[in-house]
Amino acid sequence: MNKYFSKEKIKYVFYTVSHPVDGYYWIRHIDKGSVPIAIILVVLFSLSFSFNRIFASFVVNEIDPRTVDSLSELGGVLLLYALLCIGNWSVTCLMQGEGRLKDIAIAIGYAMVPFIISINLATIVSLFIADGEEAFYYLILVVGIAYGLIMMLLGIMQVHNYSLSKTLLTLLLTLVAVFIIIFIGLLLVDLMSRIYSFFYSIYIEIVFRV
Amino acid sequence: MGILKRIKRTILLLLAFVNILGHSSIALANELPYDTYNYNFYEDIVYTPAAYVPSRSISGTRLYYEGEPLGVFSNPQDICKTPAGEVVIADTGNHRVIILDKDMTKVIKVIKDFDNNNEKDTFQSPYGVCVSKKNELYIADTYNNRIVVLDMDFNLVKIIKDPTSEVLEEGYVFSPLKVSVDYADRIYCIAQNMFEGIMVFESNGQFIGFIGTIEVGISLWEKFWKRIATKEERSNQRLFIPTEFTGIDIDDDGFVYASNIDDSGVQAIRRLNPRGQDVIKKGANENLGGDLWTSGFSNYSGASQITDVVYREKGMYSLLDRRRGRIFTYDHEGNLLYIFGGLGTQAGTFVTPVAIENIGNTIIVLDSYRAEILTFRETRYGSLINQAVGLRYDGDETKAVELWKEVLKLDENNELAYVGIGKAYLTSGDYVNAIDYLRKGMSSEFYSIAFRRYRNEVLKENMSFLLTGTVLLIIVIVTGRRIYRNKKGIKKEEGLLNE
Repeated sequence: MNKYFSKEKIKYVFYTVSHPVDGYYWIRHIDKGSVPIAIILVVLFSLSFSFNRIFASFVVNEIDPRTVDSLSELGGVLLLYALLCIGNWSVTCLMQGEGRLKDIAIAIGYAMVPFIISINLATIVSLFIADGEEAFYYLILVVGIAYGLIMMLLGIMQVHNYSLSKTLLTLLLTLVAVFIIIFIGLLLVDLMSRIYSFFYSIYIEIVFRV
Repeated sequence: MGILKRIKRTILLLLAFVNILGHSSIALANELPYDTYNYNFYEDIVYTPAAYVPSRSISGTRLYYEGEPLGVFSNPQDICKTPAGEVVIADTGNHRVIILDKDMTKVIKVIKDFDNNNEKDTFQSPYGVCVSKKNELYIADTYNNRIVVLDMDFNLVKIIKDPTSEVLEEGYVFSPLKVSVDYADRIYCIAQNMFEGIMVFESNGQFIGFIGTIEVGISLWEKFWKRIATKEERSNQRLFIPTEFTGIDIDDDGFVYASNIDDSGVQAIRRLNPRGQDVIKKGANENLGGDLWTSGFSNYSGASQITDVVYREKGMYSLLDRRRGRIFTYDHEGNLLYIFGGLGTQAGTFVTPVAIENIGNTIIVLDSYRAEILTFRETRYGSLINQAVGLRYDGDETKAVELWKEVLKLDENNELAYVGIGKAYLTSGDYVNAIDYLRKGMSSEFYSIAFRRYRNEVLKENMSFLLTGTVLLIIVIVTGRRIYRNKKGIKKEEGLLNE
């Protein structure tokens, strides 16, 4: 357990946030990162996202809090996270990327920290703002999201030892890969349900005949 | 004693039973033939108590005029009321105009013909009727291509026909459908195939022009298709013609309320000032098109088709939708107050609603297919809202609070009621309660006013604490850091302090 959650590793998350290039470099080369922490960060992000939609003041929030289902949102976020990691991994494998799946998971997971901080801060700020002051709320959100995205970009770049242009290209290809995975997944689900209904009808037939 | 007690108990029981029976009319309200609902801040449907319940239906069969049965209405197209509250019906298919008394139980007059310069003249499918403030009866005599004006004794005053103007095409045939008159006897008329707007006539019958042309919006996508289509394809495409107005009414200040069919369901009603500009106020969701939930592919889906409008009082107006038979009532700020009505064949529902009118605290709707007038009685819920909105219109919001509280007892989800109460608290300076109510009412605008004032108040009161606190915090942090560093043996940074 200590291997993943040592004080050092937790501290290293914040070091990565403040020094992304350096931080991600050592994550790749001397295992300073931890996948469980990354996953926890993704879970925290998903929860913060739901909390924002539930608790943000109605001045900025157009979503009915009663319609927010944080559990299904958590599932969606985790699925997307897994898809992104696998998609990126499968693309970079073919493009001389040095990163392991583990590194990619950490690179994306650690980049959630600015998202988490900014979303929660924005949620709290939203409770103290009135009409016409939404700019503060959105400023906090935009800064956080921009920082997170930059971190993600730098993370992918560092763990694979890519140039910036190559990173952008792989990210684009990652999206394509994600779509392909979703497509194949849907095909598979459809096929499975057909097979299931085939056997089910055979079963029904047998039950009625015998 | 025992017997006495038993008798007493029986009487009480009986009384209770009678009470239940007496309330059965209220219980009926739960068995309405239609849904009553409203849209909340999130534009979700919220079911509400009924604001109006069906009370009667009036058909021509049960009415008698001069001892003879009136006969079934045939495709009636319009109703209006006189200043005295009598009801005028354009019985289009029978080429006559009928005037009923206030209760719609007796026929006052059936006008089949009139004296036109000593000649007997008749109507040909009169589609629209209207009564002016001076009690003159305006009849849109559609297939005779004229508007006939009769006075109180049903003698001819004037006939308006053959409008001439440079803006009208050569050989234009004037077929008036709906007509309305303002306080200065200016005549506003919706004519068949006239897409330029509402035709306006001076009191002497002179055509002056159009007001309220609905601009056609062509989207970028449609422009793109136009560009790549061949000439032949283009000629087969639908023309971009502005929609016609469907109904018209005029308020006490001479503003024209005109309804039209908006396929996008955004704005089906305009309030035109004398210059023809639309000055209607829209509510928070910028929608004046009836239903917000209109998706689907059946006949029953699609944007509401508003066929008529009635200006009621205190800035309220009701729209009649023929798609789903709903009646939407808005206040002067464009808030949707309540929705009722529906299509069907049950009592209290419509097949083809064509015209709406408001008499006292009833709303009457003319159904052309059923050839009936259906009346709707105001419930307690509806009357409370009407009164409260009226008080707000007069600027008497504090008086309205009690009414809104009553409304909340009947309907806890009524956002307008919360806003009404919140605003009263706001004016009285009770910001905490104001914030609470305005948040429940989801009024971002007024919530923000209350919240900003409350925030300033709190800040002002606690300014000294806040400032002292900040200074103290800074001192604590600075000294704390110094102590921490000394303990750890970190040397002072080089530079400034070394001097």
